[in-house]
Amino acid sequence: MSAHKLTPASMSLARVPGVAIVLAILCATFGVMSPGFVTPANISNILSQSTILLLLALPMTLIIMTEGLDLSMGAVLTLASIALAITVVATGSATLGFLAALTVGFCFGLGNGVLIAALDIPPFITTLGTLGIAQGLSLLATDGQSVVGLPRSIEVIYSGSAAGIPLPVVIAALAYALTYALLYHTRFGTYVFALGGNREALKLAGISVRGMLIRVYVFGGLMAGFAALLMTARLNSAHPTAGIGMEFDAIAAIAVGGTSFERGNGWLFGTLLGVIAVGVLRNGLNLLAVPSSAQVTCIGAIVIIALFIDGLRGDR
Amino acid sequence: MASGSVVSEAPNGAARIAGVPLFELRGISKAFPGVKALDDVSFDIRSGEVHMLVGENGAGKSTLMKVLCGAYRADSGSFFYNGEPVTIDDPAAARQFGIAVIFQEFTLVPYLDIAQNIFLGREIPGRLPGFIDQRRIHSEAKRVLDLIGFDIDPHLPLHRLGVAQQQMVEIAKALSQDARILVMDEPTAALSDRETERLFAMIKRLKDSGVAIVYISHRLGEVFALGDRITVLRDGRKIASVLPAETTPDQLVTLMVGRPVDTTYTRASRPVPGKVALEVTNLSGPSGFSDINLTVRAGEIVGLCGLVGSGRSEVARAIFGADRITAGEIRLFGEPIGASPEESVRRGMALIPENRKTQGLALNRSVSDNIILAGLRKLFPSGLYVPRRAIKAARAIIDKLRIATPTPRRAVATLSGGNQQKVVIGKWLNADARFFIFDEPTRGIDVGAKAEIFRLLDHLVHDGAAVLMISSEQIEIVHICDRAYVMRGGHIAGELAHHELTEANIVRLGIHQ
Repeated sequence: MSAHKLTPASMSLARVPGVAIVLAILCATFGVMSPGFVTPANISNILSQSTILLLLALPMTLIIMTEGLDLSMGAVLTLASIALAITVVATGSATLGFLAALTVGFCFGLGNGVLIAALDIPPFITTLGTLGIAQGLSLLATDGQSVVGLPRSIEVIYSGSAAGIPLPVVIAALAYALTYALLYHTRFGTYVFALGGNREALKLAGISVRGMLIRVYVFGGLMAGFAALLMTARLNSAHPTAGIGMEFDAIAAIAVGGTSFERGNGWLFGTLLGVIAVGVLRNGLNLLAVPSSAQVTCIGAIVIIALFIDGLRGDR
Repeated sequence: MASGSVVSEAPNGAARIAGVPLFELRGISKAFPGVKALDDVSFDIRSGEVHMLVGENGAGKSTLMKVLCGAYRADSGSFFYNGEPVTIDDPAAARQFGIAVIFQEFTLVPYLDIAQNIFLGREIPGRLPGFIDQRRIHSEAKRVLDLIGFDIDPHLPLHRLGVAQQQMVEIAKALSQDARILVMDEPTAALSDRETERLFAMIKRLKDSGVAIVYISHRLGEVFALGDRITVLRDGRKIASVLPAETTPDQLVTLMVGRPVDTTYTRASRPVPGKVALEVTNLSGPSGFSDINLTVRAGEIVGLCGLVGSGRSEVARAIFGADRITAGEIRLFGEPIGASPEESVRRGMALIPENRKTQGLALNRSVSDNIILAGLRKLFPSGLYVPRRAIKAARAIIDKLRIATPTPRRAVATLSGGNQQKVVIGKWLNADARFFIFDEPTRGIDVGAKAEIFRLLDHLVHDGAAVLMISSEQIEIVHICDRAYVMRGGHIAGELAHHELTEANIVRLGIHQ
C-alpha cells in the first residue's frame, strides 16, 4: 500500500541506554573526587547496601509494567521488619520471625492487589492508604521505639559471606535470577507484559486479569518481606521509621533504568543498573559528607537526567 | 423481510451434512445503554464455507462476533454446536468449540515478541511448572508464519512492526489455534494487495480443509469474490441471507442501507461557492504525504477520500496544525496558518475528530459544559464562569442543531451517537468556527442520525461555512459533497467535480492500477 520508508544510518548507531551513561559518569566522578571510592571494600559495601533496594525495585518494576504503582512498599518493609524483630525477641526463633515478616508482606500485597484488581481502586490511592496503615501499625506496635536484643544469628545474614561474596549480595542475586525467570520465562511474566500492554488481549485470551494483577502485588509484598530480613539483619534491630521513603528510591531506580510507565515496557536489567546507580550516588555522596537530605535531591536530578538522555535519542 | 433465508450447499460443496450447521446462534439480543446493538439475530456457520457478514457501520456485525467469541455475553438467545445446545459465556468457552477471532482492533501486546503474542494465553508449558517452552513457541510460531507466507523473525518485539505486519501476526495468532470456526473482522483493511492475495489463497486452503469462516467486510469486491453466503445486518437486525450468485452488488447495497441508495439523503440546493476559505499549496509532511494542493470555498462541502492509509487523516491533521509540515503553505481565509492547533482554532477552524468519545467530548460532563468548552473566552471575557450565560449559550446551540436532550445539564454520555456528534459540532459553532474538517463524521451512527448529520452539514454551508469532509463511505462522499479529492499513497490522485463524483470514479482513483 504505502511505499516502504527507507531510514538509513540512524539504525546503525550504537544504542547505549541512558542508565549506563549515568552510571559511568557517577563512577568516574566519585572515583576522581574521593580516594576511598574505588576500593574493594567500598565496592562490596555499595553492592551490599543496594541489595535491600533491589529487593523492592524488582517487584516494583513488574508492578509499574502493569501501569500500577506500590507506594506502600517502604512502609510494609518497615512493618515486616518490626514483626520479624518482635517475633524473634519473643520466641527466640529466627525462622518464626522470618515467617512473620513474610506473612506481613503477603497480607499487604494481597490487600493491595484485591483493592486494586477486584474493587478497581486506582493503585496510587490504594497503596497510599496501605502505606498509612502499615506506617501507623509500625509506630503502634513499637510505641515509636526501636526493637533491639536480636540474637547474632540474624545479624549474620547481612554481615556474613559465602565463598567470599557478601551474603546479602548472594540473596539479591538469587532474587534477581528469580524475578528474571518469572518475567521472561513464565506465563505469569508474559501476562505482566500484557497487563500493561493490552489488557483486552489478555481478557480475550481467556486469562483472568484480576487474578494476575493480584499476583503481581502479592509478589511485591513477599519481596518486601524478604527485604525486611536483610534490613533487620543490617541494623541488628528494627526501627519504625527505617524504611520510610524506600519506595521513592525504588521508583527512581526503575525510572532511571529505562522502564516506561506505559504500555508494559519494562527492562529488568535496567532496574538493576538503576539500583546500583542510586547506590553509587548515595555512597559517593556519603564519602563526600553530603547530608542525606541533599542526596534525595540528587537522586531526583539523576532520574531526570537519565530520562532526558533517553528522550533525546527518541527512545520514548 | 426476507426471513425465508436462503440456505443451501456451498457451491463447491463436497457433500456436507446439509441439515445441521457446525455452529448456530439463535435469537441473539444484546443491548448497551442507549443502544440495542443486536435484536433477535440468528446466524449459522457451516464447515468449509465462507460466510460473509455485511452491513453499515453500527449495524451490529462486530457485536455479533464478540458474542460469538465470548467477549460479550448475550442478553438473550442460544447457541448450538453440531445441533447440541451449548453455552458461551467467556472467551475460554468459545475456544473449546474451536472459535478463533481476528479482531479489527488488534489484541496484541507491544512489548512481547511475535511468538509470545501468537501464543498468548496458550503458552506451551516448559519443564518447570508455570514456565514456558520458549524454543517451542518460537518454532511453532515460525511454522504458522510460514504457512501464511509471512517471512519474519518470531523473536521480533511487536512494537517494532507496522500495521500490516501486525495484522499478519493477528491472523497467525488465530490460525495457530487450529480453529474450526475462524472469524475475521475486516482483515484486509490494513493489507497491501499482495498480502491480501496471500490471505485469500490461505482462506481458500482453510475452507477446503473444512474450516468455517465468518468474514466481515465493507468491500463488496471481496464479498462477492470470497463469499459462499452473505448475511446482511442493519441496525442490529438480520435483514437477509443471500447467495452471491443470486445477488448483485446493487441489491446488496440496497439491503444494507434499507432503501434504494439514492434516496438515503436528498441534497438541498447548495449556495454558489463564495470566497476561498482554505487554500493548501504543495503541502508535504513527514507523516507520509507530499505535494498536496487543495482549495475549499465558503459554502462548499469538499470530500477528501482514499483508502485507509492513503494519508487523508494525516493531511487533515497537518492542515489543523497538529502535525509538522516540511514544505508548502496553508492559507485560511487568505492568511497563512499551520503553526499550531491553537492558532487554527483562533482563526475559525474546527476539527471534528473521528473518535468523538475520546477526542471530541468530555463524556461525563453536561451537554452545556461540552458546548461552551471551545468558546470560553468569548463567553466569559472576565474569566469568571457564569452558569446562566453558559446555559443560555448551550440552549441556543441545542435549539439550532435540534440536539435531543431533556436538559442542557444532562451528561453527554447518556445521549445517542448522533446527538453526541451534534454536541461536538455545536461546540465549534459556539466558538464561531467557519471552516470545518470532519473526519469520518458518521462513524458509529445509525442510518437515521446520519441523514440528520448531513442536513446539519447542509445547514453549515448555507450559513457560509466551508467544510472538508473525510470519509471511508464513498456513498456518503458522493451524496453530500460538491467536489472531492481522492488520495492514494500520500498524493492527491485526482479531483472529481460534482458531475464526475461517482463511487466508481472514487474507487478508480483510490486504488493502485
